[in-house]
Amino acid sequence: MPAGLELLKSIDTFSTFTQEELEKIAPLVNPMKVMEGEILAKMGYRARTFFIVIKGNFLLSFKNGKAITLHNKGDIMGWSTLVAPFEYRGTVIALTNGEVLALPGQEFYLLLQSDSALCSKIMNEINSIIASRTPYHEV
Amino acid sequence: MYGLENISAHNGWAISFVGVTIVFTGLTLLCLTIAQLHKILDIWENKDKYINNRNHKTLTSTPANAVPKPCMPVEELETIRQYKMIADRLEQPFSLPKLLDIAVKIGLERPHSTINTLLVKKIIISDGKGYFIWTS
Repeated sequence: MPAGLELLKSIDTFSTFTQEELEKIAPLVNPMKVMEGEILAKMGYRARTFFIVIKGNFLLSFKNGKAITLHNKGDIMGWSTLVAPFEYRGTVIALTNGEVLALPGQEFYLLLQSDSALCSKIMNEINSIIASRTPYHEV
Repeated sequence: MYGLENISAHNGWAISFVGVTIVFTGLTLLCLTIAQLHKILDIWENKDKYINNRNHKTLTSTPANAVPKPCMPVEELETIRQYKMIADRLEQPFSLPKLLDIAVKIGLERPHSTINTLLVKKIIISDGKGYFIWTS
């Protein structure tokens, strides 16, 4: 079994996804080590990569000085890659060394466009994340 | 005499060998110098820190078998005190990115993982609105 597929299966967020759906996403998955202090995404920049936390701790900061911290496997960063205007809404900094799954935004977006069922599941997840983080975006 | 005989007769091989050796040695030294340049620049940029460390070491001699310092000595009150002082200078509840930014700017050791440890140990907690509170 490819490493990407195995990693996706181990994430709760994808527990409702079928084997076939996971197999479609798996080729896009790039496991990536991150270093303490590394900036994964910068607010206002074009959102090119979608991240899923495997391990590590991350600070997600917004322009009004507000922030949230992410510590759990399966936490998602960079949802802006799938939502217009495709610009990161916050800056993501790794607080510790860790590991993430990086998915190229454009390819992931095209995959979702070609599969409505998969798109629906992913967008449900994204919507709940947007809803939970919207208060932090507001000034 | 022409060609190789002429080279041999006038020590051409030895001269070539010396020439190659000099050039090769020079390039090797250049490579090593460039490879270590970042250390020299680091020392130059943080010279005050190095001078202080050196003075501190001469005052308190470290035993040879000393246990290496843990990566984040949050137990040490000094570290907590430093971050508390910064947090106190900020509005309450404070902005965590601002605290991190100041910690980076003033050169505190490993500010990212230190702040993470403070979060994990619940010394800093979220107010649920995007700002953070110092609890202890």
